[in-house]
Amino acid sequence: MRLTGRTTLWLLAPALVLMAVLYVIPLGVYLINGFHEFRDGRILSVWTLRTYAAYFTDPFSYRVIGTSLRLSLVVTLLAIVIGYPVAYALHTRVKGAAAKTAIALLLFSPLLVSVVVRTYGWLILLAGQGLVNTTLRALGVISEPISLLFNMRGVVISLTHILLPFAIFPIYSVMGRLDPSLKEAARDLGAGWRDTFLHVTLPLTMPGVVAGALICFTLALSAFVTPQLLGGGRVQVLPLAVYNSTVEINWPGGAVAGLSLLIISMAAVRALNALLRRLPTA
Amino acid sequence: MTEHDPRAHGAHVEIRNITKRYGAVVAVEAVSLAIQGGEFFSLLGPSGCGKTTTLRVIGGFEVIDDGDVYIDGQAMGKTPPNRRATNMVFQRLALFPHYSVYDNVAFGLRMQRLPDREIRQRVGEALDLVQLTGLDRRRITEISGGQQQRVALARALVNRPRVLLLDEPLSALDLKLRLQMQEELKRLQRELGTTFIYVTHDQGEALAMSDRVGVMNGGRLLQVGPPLEIYERPANRFVANFIGDANLVDGVVESLEQDAIVLRADGARVRAQRQGWERPGQAATVCVRPERVHLDPGRAGDGVLRGRIEDRAFSGYVVKYRLAAGPLRVQAAVPYTRGTPLYEVGDEVGAWWDARQAVTVTAE
Repeated sequence: MRLTGRTTLWLLAPALVLMAVLYVIPLGVYLINGFHEFRDGRILSVWTLRTYAAYFTDPFSYRVIGTSLRLSLVVTLLAIVIGYPVAYALHTRVKGAAAKTAIALLLFSPLLVSVVVRTYGWLILLAGQGLVNTTLRALGVISEPISLLFNMRGVVISLTHILLPFAIFPIYSVMGRLDPSLKEAARDLGAGWRDTFLHVTLPLTMPGVVAGALICFTLALSAFVTPQLLGGGRVQVLPLAVYNSTVEINWPGGAVAGLSLLIISMAAVRALNALLRRLPTA
Repeated sequence: MTEHDPRAHGAHVEIRNITKRYGAVVAVEAVSLAIQGGEFFSLLGPSGCGKTTTLRVIGGFEVIDDGDVYIDGQAMGKTPPNRRATNMVFQRLALFPHYSVYDNVAFGLRMQRLPDREIRQRVGEALDLVQLTGLDRRRITEISGGQQQRVALARALVNRPRVLLLDEPLSALDLKLRLQMQEELKRLQRELGTTFIYVTHDQGEALAMSDRVGVMNGGRLLQVGPPLEIYERPANRFVANFIGDANLVDGVVESLEQDAIVLRADGARVRAQRQGWERPGQAATVCVRPERVHLDPGRAGDGVLRGRIEDRAFSGYVVKYRLAAGPLRVQAAVPYTRGTPLYEVGDEVGAWWDARQAVTVTAE
């Protein structure tokens, strides 16, 4: 059935209204604050570009942006590098729909736990006398406890953990759609396991990798609770900067930082989507 | 792909007693078969008969439960596909969508780490061979189904396999293109001398192209022979029915004559060429091809089935009649030229055939 323009509009209406009322309008209202100024503990309702000028001349802004980008990139990379083999194993080694569903549920189960509870869990595990350090010492990998809390490491570990399913499932789903005879054809033409993987499986599952990276990157970029609790104030990322400005009633500063977060997200989405369109589909 | 002795190139393939089960289902049951070097051999049967599984066993894509495959006398055991002298043309072609025509064809040679110059030359020759010259830079998605078919062939043949396995490669093409590709496959096979093992469910395709045909059903190999022999002397009821059109008359052997048997079936007596295994009192089926059934309104008596024309269909060079003779239905295909007398539906005629033109088959 082809939908007429009017029917399409009616079907989209609830979502459009919701987006407008709950997202676009508040966002607009908030961003307008960027053109005001915060001075002496209050917002001056003057129209000015001074907040922008201050933000973009302050080296601290760039450090925050840099930290955000570094965190998101590292987490995305780790999630893909760890997630790809998991997806591959799930696709090739796990036989039977029931087993696949069980493992999929297991992989998604961390998402069923509240982010705060999960983060406190990581606090316990990553502490100086926590499970991770004691295990590593027992195994003789390290002699002194390594500091995994209140720095970048802990945030990266915890964020990678929670974003892993978002990397695994797009890759797994693309693998499932791959014609199994493509791999057989490669084998038939003399390719061993390695060549088959490098020349057939990997390039043809790149759409899944890019989709997974897109989700992981944007989620990592906007992560708030994890850097807040596990970073201990030493991992200053954009969402934290926005939050801190907002609680100080520095709405103009928060708006400008928020806008830079939005622009980075959109740029990443655009870049990865462009990449996705260029990739071949099997 | 230049000068070489065709006889020397194709490998001899032998399957000994292979069995493949999927859980409780037996896909292939104790199949043994010897295929000569340079032979065009077809495995023919309805879907699910085990023909594709047998082909995949030869290619090394299946782990078998019993038996082994020998290529030029060498036991294959668990040898993976990349170490066998075979190449496969897959049913859904399995062309690499992220590669150009050239890169698809070059894949096997690159896996052999051949020098670029040799790869270029051999890919060029392979593309010439399948008449795709000049299309090397095209993407797989930019060429037609028939062209994709040729790329799949070139991609396999460029490796100079000693055995080419083809899994219903023409099933996706329309009739005209299919017939054209059949001819080309035959030409290629003759020129290269490669052993071709061709899987199909299309009996016309198998009969037209093959040196020999193996008919499969229910995981078993029922009969192996040249197309003519299978058509003339089907081993059993299934083969008779599957290959070409057949009238099958079930009954009991009444008596044996010099070269013929007399079969009693539902009040009628018919004759067929004696195969040797028949004994009086045994159940048997007489198979007679429609084009060998004669219709004659004036004929009656021993060996004639009297009945009324139930249906008539004109199809150019033959007229097909269906005759109701008691409980039996007899099909007759009568050659047609201008002036051939036609019978009308309802006409009473006698159907008969020369005993030498019919055979007995086991009732299985």
